[in-house]
Amino acid sequence: MTGKLLGVASGVSLAVLAVLALVVVPPDAVQGDAQRLMYVHVPTAWLAYLAFFVTAVASVLWLWPRTRAPHWDLLAGSSAEVGVVFTGLTLALGSLWGRPIWGTWWEWDARLTTTLVLFFLYVGYLALRRTGATADERGKRCAIAALIAFADVPVVHFSVTWWETLHQDATVFNPDLDVRMEGFWMPFTLVFSVLAFTLLYATLVRTRLRLAELDEGREERELQRAIEERRRAEVVPA
Amino acid sequence: MDDNWGYVAAGYGLTAGVVAAYVVWLRVRIRRAERSLRDEADG
Repeated sequence: MTGKLLGVASGVSLAVLAVLALVVVPPDAVQGDAQRLMYVHVPTAWLAYLAFFVTAVASVLWLWPRTRAPHWDLLAGSSAEVGVVFTGLTLALGSLWGRPIWGTWWEWDARLTTTLVLFFLYVGYLALRRTGATADERGKRCAIAALIAFADVPVVHFSVTWWETLHQDATVFNPDLDVRMEGFWMPFTLVFSVLAFTLLYATLVRTRLRLAELDEGREERELQRAIEERRRAEVVPA
Repeated sequence: MDDNWGYVAAGYGLTAGVVAAYVVWLRVRIRRAERSLRDEADG
């Protein structure tokens, strides 16, 4: 029931966001209509940060002996997969926004490059999750990798202040915490977009976690079956 | 009409397409996993 409610709430809020961003918000004085891409580019980037933060927290909870439970490892993996999807989208949307505004699809600029590195770090993390090992070995190996990969998140975020970049400064979470937008609809729609995508994140992670639990159960049963077959083969001489 | 609407349409279309494809992919895999669980339980 909660899952369905979450799904409906995120679907409705994304539909409202589309109307706000494409119809209600006026075109930007400088960038014109291209600026409407901000209402999907910024929340997808936010989702990537959020997803990898959840992966890092779940990894710490898995590593910490007092809180260690298989659930944290599965949550870390589920959240990382959603994060990879949204990091890929962030890069693609940024490229689509950059072409009309910067005149280029791609630039080896600090923000873009560190985001690409972040994408590949977590693709590597997901690949690591597929390597054969016991659940405990995999959990430990992946939790450490997740914490190393997460070190790139602040680098991505602060890249626009640490280096001279083509990418603009953060619109909201800049060092002055100054929302650099005019009027009511632009900041409202941006905040709404972040909330709508956060709901989408919750829906997707919940669904992905369900799949991870089903897969984990199947793997355990297959392992048990293999052990039983092996024992039987040892008891009954050929 | 602003020439940039093409980029905007591509961006929103891409976002909707990726999210929809990911949701469908997850649902198909969950259904498959649940079916194999049921089959195992049936013997």
